[in-house]
Amino acid sequence: MDQHIKKVYVPMTETAFFILLCLRKPNHGYGIVQMVEKMTDGCIKLTPGTMYGSLSKMEKDKVIRFVREEDKRKSYQITDLGLEVLQIELKRIERLYKIAKEEM
Amino acid sequence: MKTKKQFKWFTIFEYEKEQDYLREMHKAGWKFIKVKFGIYYFEKCTPQDVVYQLDYNEDGLKYKDEYLKMFDDCGWEYIQDYIGYSYFRKAVAAVDGVAEEIFCDEESRLQMMQRALKGRMLPLLVIFFATLLPLFLINLLSTHNYVITSIIGGILVWYIVIFAMCFVKYNQYKNKK
Repeated sequence: MDQHIKKVYVPMTETAFFILLCLRKPNHGYGIVQMVEKMTDGCIKLTPGTMYGSLSKMEKDKVIRFVREEDKRKSYQITDLGLEVLQIELKRIERLYKIAKEEM
Repeated sequence: MKTKKQFKWFTIFEYEKEQDYLREMHKAGWKFIKVKFGIYYFEKCTPQDVVYQLDYNEDGLKYKDEYLKMFDDCGWEYIQDYIGYSYFRKAVAAVDGVAEEIFCDEESRLQMMQRALKGRMLPLLVIFFATLLPLFLINLLSTHNYVITSIIGGILVWYIVIFAMCFVKYNQYKNKK
């Protein structure tokens, strides 16, 4: 994994985390917004400026890839590289959680 | 229909000020119609709390259909593009009164500013180094045309002030967040 990817995605923003998590199956930006709202009981509402910017940036970084366009909505899916960074991030969060539990 | 025109000047980093201005106007019963050459056009409307948001995204302008679709899906009305910026608005929900924004994390907001800086400042820098600076030096050192030299010199200073201001503002913004 190159330095740029490491720097941007380890750790990653909550937005990037949810995008990767949701894109284990192909989906479009608005689909992700809806999924995340449901998953978090409305606590996290992703917004279009952030979503559009993040999706195009993540596509350029090759952690997600374009799948198809339907009704003006572009669908993406996670790549192997994306899965790899998601796993690293999960481990990192797990470790943080474990430490916090032991300490508190 | 009653309309109103106002001249306003906002630099690229004053988009928050611009957003607030449009929101205040709508609250006062003036709905934003368009902006052209720094002139803001409004139309009389029922006063309402409507949030205005600006985005700067070249990809969005290039793939406009899907870009606008995303905003439309999320309930944002698109108004127009103006020197790289796209204008959107959304009424503040009557239920919870929360003013939504189009960015939900600081990183993407900062990336938007970086895109604006690159898109708007880079062409100016090119003009600066490819045209103004050589022209200045030629007039000063070889043709000795001091009238033109001082005119171009003035423009150069003005440019440098703009660059410096942008740099300072960008850093302020970066550190603030």
